[in-house]
Amino acid sequence: MAIVDIEGVRKVYHRDSQEITVLDGINLRVPEGEFVALMGPSGSGKTTLLNLIAGIDRPTSGRVMVAGTDLSLLSEGALASWRSHNVGFIFQFYNLIPVLTAVENVELPLLLVRMSKAQRRERALTALRVVGLADRALHYPRQLSGGQEQRVAIARAIVTDPKVLVADEPTGDLDARSAQEILELMETLNKQFRKTIVMVTHDPRAAERAHVQRHLDKGVLTA
Amino acid sequence: MRYLPYILKHLRRNWMRTGSTIVAMSICIFLFCTLQTLIRAVTFNLKSANANILVMRHAVSLVFNLPIAYKERIASVPGVTRVGIANWFGGSRRPGEFRDFFPNFAIDDAFLEMYPEYIIPPDQEQAYRQDRRGCIIARKLSVERGWNIGDTFQLESFIPPYRVGRPFEFVVRAIYDADEKRHPGTVDNLMFFHYEYLYEMTNQRAGIGTYRIQIADPAQAGAISKAVDALFENSDAQTHTETEAAFRAGFVSLAGNLAYLLNAIGLAVTFTILLVTANTMSMAVRERRTEIAVLKTLGFPSGLVMGLILTESAALGALGGALALGLSSLAIGNLTKLPFIGDAVRGFPDLGLHPLVALLGFGLAVALGVLAGLIPAFLAFRARITDLLRSA
Repeated sequence: MAIVDIEGVRKVYHRDSQEITVLDGINLRVPEGEFVALMGPSGSGKTTLLNLIAGIDRPTSGRVMVAGTDLSLLSEGALASWRSHNVGFIFQFYNLIPVLTAVENVELPLLLVRMSKAQRRERALTALRVVGLADRALHYPRQLSGGQEQRVAIARAIVTDPKVLVADEPTGDLDARSAQEILELMETLNKQFRKTIVMVTHDPRAAERAHVQRHLDKGVLTA
Repeated sequence: MRYLPYILKHLRRNWMRTGSTIVAMSICIFLFCTLQTLIRAVTFNLKSANANILVMRHAVSLVFNLPIAYKERIASVPGVTRVGIANWFGGSRRPGEFRDFFPNFAIDDAFLEMYPEYIIPPDQEQAYRQDRRGCIIARKLSVERGWNIGDTFQLESFIPPYRVGRPFEFVVRAIYDADEKRHPGTVDNLMFFHYEYLYEMTNQRAGIGTYRIQIADPAQAGAISKAVDALFENSDAQTHTETEAAFRAGFVSLAGNLAYLLNAIGLAVTFTILLVTANTMSMAVRERRTEIAVLKTLGFPSGLVMGLILTESAALGALGGALALGLSSLAIGNLTKLPFIGDAVRGFPDLGLHPLVALLGFGLAVALGVLAGLIPAFLAFRARITDLLRSA
């Protein structure tokens, strides 16, 4: 069964009087538990497609079904709530909140869930243990390396136990060794925890880790 | 509550900017509280003005006295039930030194009967009436100066006709209390003594500063005022009679322009602080565009993000307000000890940071904080995640 089912999606941006078609008639099906890499040159529409899957953007036309929900039918509020339960987002530049410790950053998505402070802390620590950073729970982002920051960001993405993980060039800002570690961690999440992962990457070595590679060019899926 | 640590951590993020904004806010609220306290002190005794009492003074100025002979003629006017006397004595223990000043009046017995708000035990009032040098002092004065029943002290007036080459000696015969609930606005730092004593000590040169005229029907105040003034229209000392409220308001109007000026200054400072705080919040939000995008991506509804920014802004105002209240309380409490300013405000009754002024000041601080955060919060509310991420 496809956890991501995209059908005839178009995305058009308007800049001044110009109309820019970023995605043009995209059809994509991602089965549950799949690890998909989206590749393509800059401006090909990879990140836009990822944003549509994550529910942080809406298509101009077409249908985006993720985890059994047609996202185009949801209001802004309902979409926000849907995101908090179904999707974990991993950014290229980690985007941790600098004034919060690692564990507080991981706790953030849990603030939206009705649970006690102790339960929240316990779940955040569990997520940090999964990414191997339990001993750095009280460190601030500035006290962590890039690789460690990305691990914390991954812990934040998985703490609500979402069905789908979307990653926008998760290794793009890391050195080779850290990138390897992050990719290994994502493989583990996919294999052991059965997380469906959709990853945008420029890096062929990163893409090799995925089960399926899809290529985008000028808003069209070419392979 | 679960978001509070998150908000507080953000306030600490740029402590220099947060600190300077809090200090700026606190200065604004401090000014507001201090100015409002002064205005309140100036207008305080308007509250206790009696509707059935008229005040008659010399038509030219309070500086000039009226003849004693007027008393009987005023009393003969229909509608007048009682006529009392009150002369501003202007006495202090060291003449010309206002540090030691408190308001004191020479009165007659009819005056006391007209003002039941000065609550005096009957035995003490009796003792006062029987002693020509006797005086009545406020409880507050008794506590502040350590004067008790039977104690003597001397005062010397700075008003030329009352300067007789030696000080007046007084004996404390009664201490009055004020009931703020039954008679709000009763002045609680006065001293009264016998007009006869003043009359004798000045070799019968002291005239009457003001006549207090009690009337049966407050609705007739205008007509009676005209009637009594008409009695003396062709005399050397023409009179001006008005309600007690109008008489007191006349004093307040002397400070009216000052109050207007103080309010204008306060308003200008408040507006400036609003701009400063709004700028701080705008910068804080602009710096956090990515974080706002992250919060929204994680599933924080736009309304909640807006609420977090507004709460942070309100917290900034609340911290400034709290600091200001501490400063105001300290400053107002010590205002009378300052040179020059202290001399000017020492005679004001009830000079202190009133809870209502404090509440207003704190409310203003929080409101300023919320107002300052409104636009940045609304922009964060409306911003699309992809736009925020792209512009980061």
